Amino acid sequence: MNRENSGYTIIYASVMVIIVALGLAFTHQVLIEKQTANVNIDKMQQILRSLNIDASADEARSQYDALVKNAYLINSDGTKIEGTEGTTPNDPAFSTELGSDDTAGLPVYEAEVEGTAIYILPMRGAGLWGPIWGYLAVEGDGSTVYGSEFGHASETPGLGAEIVTPTFRKQFIGKELFKEGNFVSVAVVKPGRSAANRDYVDGISGGTITSQGVDKMLLNSVGEYKSFLMNLQAAQ
Amino acid sequence: MDAISLIIRSIFVDNMIFAYFLGMCSFLAVSKNVKTALGLGIAVTFVLVLTLPINYLLENYVLKAGALVWLGEQYATVDLSVFSLLIFIAVIASFVQLVEMVIERFSPALYASLGIFLPLIAVNCAILGGSLFMQQREFANIGMATAYSFGSGIGWMLAIVGMAAIREKLEYSHVPKPLKGLGITFIITALMALGFMSFSGINI
Amino acid sequence: MALSSKTKAVLLGPLNKNNPIIVQVLGICSALAVTSKLEPSLVMAISVTIVVAFANVIISLLRKTIPNRIRIIVQLVVAAALVTIVSEVLKAFAYDVNKQLSVFVGLIVTNCILMGRLEAFALGNGPWPSFLDGIGNGLGYGWILVVVGFFRELLGSGTLMGYQVIPQSFYEAGYENNGLMMLAPMAILLVAVIIWVHRANNKELQEETN
Repeated sequence: MNRENSGYTIIYASVMVIIVALGLAFTHQVLIEKQTANVNIDKMQQILRSLNIDASADEARSQYDALVKNAYLINSDGTKIEGTEGTTPNDPAFSTELGSDDTAGLPVYEAEVEGTAIYILPMRGAGLWGPIWGYLAVEGDGSTVYGSEFGHASETPGLGAEIVTPTFRKQFIGKELFKEGNFVSVAVVKPGRSAANRDYVDGISGGTITSQGVDKMLLNSVGEYKSFLMNLQAAQ
Repeated sequence: MDAISLIIRSIFVDNMIFAYFLGMCSFLAVSKNVKTALGLGIAVTFVLVLTLPINYLLENYVLKAGALVWLGEQYATVDLSVFSLLIFIAVIASFVQLVEMVIERFSPALYASLGIFLPLIAVNCAILGGSLFMQQREFANIGMATAYSFGSGIGWMLAIVGMAAIREKLEYSHVPKPLKGLGITFIITALMALGFMSFSGINI
Repeated sequence: MALSSKTKAVLLGPLNKNNPIIVQVLGICSALAVTSKLEPSLVMAISVTIVVAFANVIISLLRKTIPNRIRIIVQLVVAAALVTIVSEVLKAFAYDVNKQLSVFVGLIVTNCILMGRLEAFALGNGPWPSFLDGIGNGLGYGWILVVVGFFRELLGSGTLMGYQVIPQSFYEAGYENNGLMMLAPMAILLVAVIIWVHRANNKELQEETN
């Protein structure tokens, strides 16, 4: 058979593509379950980090189950949507992705640490290159930040990507989201600067746009939970 | 406006070579004189600008989870992203081959100057890297993706031409023997990359 | 099993005199950006070794059947399929590392070592030597990566594989982590130093012109 024949070339290419496609599809099917489990565990680890707990992948599930008591969706006026409670990966709060348009409500996780209730709010925004996200843990008074966690898809290593480091995250602890009853969020400022009438933390030097992205994300994403946080304050 | 700042950012701040070392093989091999470096730079930019938007469309209307929804509601859950690498590289490779044939047929002069680089480009990491970054960075529309591909290409060209210019001058300097050639080229690349890092603070 | 001298040369040559990175100048692209820590460097080295070895075997088995016109595309498809499998496996079993490697796993496809070995070796040799050649080149590439990753993590963060190795008392005595090491250009500079040392010891590799 002539190897340079067009018919042979075409058949060769088609057969190869089919074999490769089948092989890949098969691998994907075999591994997808394990991959989803990893994604879920990663999400639990992020939620735990916002509670200032560094859990390894093996302990994440048990720690998460022990601490996160409840999770549900809320609607825009801050009240719980009935029938959305549940903390497992299949429940609406966990499986809701912020950022898509057709979500039923905003997810809230309720954790209990040393007898006090902590509320964890997911956030999503844009960094320099791609999406950034995070979790903000707020104390029962609806204003004091208990902890935070940030993640990013593709910020510049060594610069914008530094938002995931504990040094940056730990700055948020104890900051107040509300001043004199108004939601002002926590500002992320250039190191050395300050913000008037708001609590602030130092941004990343060299990662200006990512820091601004975090600032905007806190303002917008947490802003959507304003009524929920006000309700918490009123309940105090 | 966004597109312009994206172009400037991808030329200076997130330069394909100095920030990610993409396309280093041909960068090191073809940076001995400015003229050939320029030729390769143009070829890379050309292929990048043409393949990245194609891959952007494929990614958003075929490969991504839920991307096939335009075919009908029942396809909303189809996720073909496992094939993305395969498709991207196939697009790039066949495109390079196509460009080579077209140029050879219609402009032998251009082929003579550019032709030798084209086979090199299919395996230039900067091209596939561009498509993979596009997938990760979720550009808002095809215009932004094209702007990014253009900026990355120009950034790559700038890097290789600058490198070639320095290497031409280097002929006259005394480099320690073991560092001659490859070693000193690496060191210059590192120093240039450090220089480019000073752009990362600028606010665009 | 005793290795014949030819087999030995195929396997061990790339580790030293024929090293893909510092002598053949191949495959620098996709990898140096992941060397800021030792762990991703190791995973990258292993992934590349596996992909090169198996791609070599597959292409070597197919070498009598591949139509010459679509040779490059066939090689790329085989490589892309193997890389996708490696990336899927990493996602399933080493999720954290996979996150750190991000797009650079995919970029193994265009790693010049891979294409270089397929073109230069697998198309002209049988499966077993091709396999050894792949392993040899993967390891030759890997040890450079690991050395660079080792120094960058040690000097840049004071840790190795994530464990603190520089004792706390050093920091108290005024030692500081060298943040510069974490930046991308230092990877290149470290490779330059490796080349320098290597060529100082192997005079025949020194080049005449700049």
